[in-house]
Amino acid sequence: MEMTLLIGLDAASYILTLLLVCIGLVIIFGMMNVINLAHGEFFLLGAYTVVLLQQYALPFAVILVTAFVFVALIGLIIEELVIRRIYHRFLDTILATWGISLALKQLVIILFGPGSQPTVAPFAEPIAMFGITYSSYRLFIMGMAIVITATTFLILFRTRWGLTARGVIANRQMASCLGVNTRRVDRVTFAFGSGLAGLAGAIMAPLMSVDPQMGVGFLVPAFLSILVGGIASPLGAIWGASIIGGSNSVVAAIWTPVIAQIVVFSLAIVVIRLMPDGLAGRKKR
Amino acid sequence: MKSKYSRSLTVLFWAALAGAPLFLGGWNLGLLSQLMIYGIFAMSLAFIWGQGGLLCFGQSLFFGIGAYAMALTTKGMIPGVPAITLAGLVLAMILPALVAGLLGLALFKGRGLYGAYFGIVTLSAAVIAERLAINWSYIGGFNGILDVPPLRLEWGSWQIELYDPLLFFLVVLVAAFAAFLVLLKLERSAFGTVLRGIRDNETRAAFLGFETAEYKTVAFAVSGAVAGLAGALFAVQFAFVSPAILGFALATEVLIWVAIGGKTVLLAAFIGALAVKSVENVLSDTLGQYWLLVLGLLFVAAVVVLPRGLLAPFLNLSLPPALRRSEPLKKSTTT
Repeated sequence: MEMTLLIGLDAASYILTLLLVCIGLVIIFGMMNVINLAHGEFFLLGAYTVVLLQQYALPFAVILVTAFVFVALIGLIIEELVIRRIYHRFLDTILATWGISLALKQLVIILFGPGSQPTVAPFAEPIAMFGITYSSYRLFIMGMAIVITATTFLILFRTRWGLTARGVIANRQMASCLGVNTRRVDRVTFAFGSGLAGLAGAIMAPLMSVDPQMGVGFLVPAFLSILVGGIASPLGAIWGASIIGGSNSVVAAIWTPVIAQIVVFSLAIVVIRLMPDGLAGRKKR
Repeated sequence: MKSKYSRSLTVLFWAALAGAPLFLGGWNLGLLSQLMIYGIFAMSLAFIWGQGGLLCFGQSLFFGIGAYAMALTTKGMIPGVPAITLAGLVLAMILPALVAGLLGLALFKGRGLYGAYFGIVTLSAAVIAERLAINWSYIGGFNGILDVPPLRLEWGSWQIELYDPLLFFLVVLVAAFAAFLVLLKLERSAFGTVLRGIRDNETRAAFLGFETAEYKTVAFAVSGAVAGLAGALFAVQFAFVSPAILGFALATEVLIWVAIGGKTVLLAAFIGALAVKSVENVLSDTLGQYWLLVLGLLFVAAVVVLPRGLLAPFLNLSLPPALRRSEPLKKSTTT
């Protein structure tokens, strides 16, 4: 019983972490049709913001906000310098963001060195409940993932800006004809999606070993998640993260983490092949 | 767009490569062989990406399978296959071609995958293969396979081992030139024309009656075989194979070489690999950690500003006269 609960909690934790990474990715992909392979490095930048700012003993909440704003700004700059020029060349956006990811990672290595950096969790006492103990910081991450996802959905579905953005997703030309400044929507979307990646990195930093390779580990599961879930709607990210994250944790608990990755990635490829629109996507692209 | 001099430049380049042993000593010759192996690998990607329009993010998968096939065969670790060089080379081309063909069939048939989906799926496939190799103790696991024997030519009782850098260089040169000619021939055939048609507009090609999935699968398998050949030569030169050559890092590197050189022209991709790798050899000492930063930014710049690559405009060969008109297309649609 306790074992099941523990596996369940681990699965929930991995799912929500993955969701945290995916949500920014799916917004950029779904809205702008840009595959952002630099997403892992935005995650990385968020984590290193924590490393840097914790040296000045700032409150953790301030650090999180700073990470979001800082990475959003980086995203804005990259959008302006690179992405803007290649919107119409879909495949080239993958390559360009891949190059950006290489450069950003190397920049981090130059600035901080290739080794892992220490970060301190703001609180770490284990919490006892239902007969098991679980890290309070993990529970905090899970809570944050839910809050951030909910906020993102509120913004997308309940605000005027969200309406405009969804209008641009649905029909870019029509939105533009109706007087929407699609350029500005793109810019804000990319910055927002990047910022979310930074925030995810900052939240995860105390739990992970913060080193220049930490973003790569999330890249493949995150992309498979959003493809499995379907990119036509941000809801797809929830589906995808649940399936990839959930099955990965369960298989990992039964066999080993490596076998879990092999099995889950292979199954994900099959799902993507059979349902290119994803589980949540009814819309034909 | 093609340059007036592209044909002469192409001939000149191959002649220069063939003449290289006159000027280079053993060590540099070995280095050049290594660069040419990467060049063969780059051509395999340029063929599938530049001609077929399939952005394969996991080309290292086929390179790695070729390398492992060569290493396992020549070390006599595959039951039933004689431990000779020739068997290794053949297997190193057939196995990746098979994997690519099956993967292609699975991915392209029916309402197939395209564009970014294909890229991410191939990337995942390479990552899966790397994990598998790390966990498969028979093929060496994390440590890979050491002491891969050198090439050995056999004629009955006569045999010679190619330890000498010059002989190995000649073998690689022949392999590179053969790969170049075969891919070029395919590119300049009716098959290549259809492939480019699919690249430019798959729906239209399908409406014209072409089984687009089959064309793409065959092209993918050919590309896999060439990548496998490069992998086999790599295994022999380094006498060493590790799971890393199946995965992420190498797949990225080859994309950069091809993007910088130019994906639509085989020789441009080949020289792209040679150029980037040799600049890396020279500059990584002086620039140190900044080299990768520069390379990343250069790659972004090449993609954004010069989507055709730096060298492709100078090396683009014109199509044979028969293919410049559209007869082959018309003929095959009516039959």
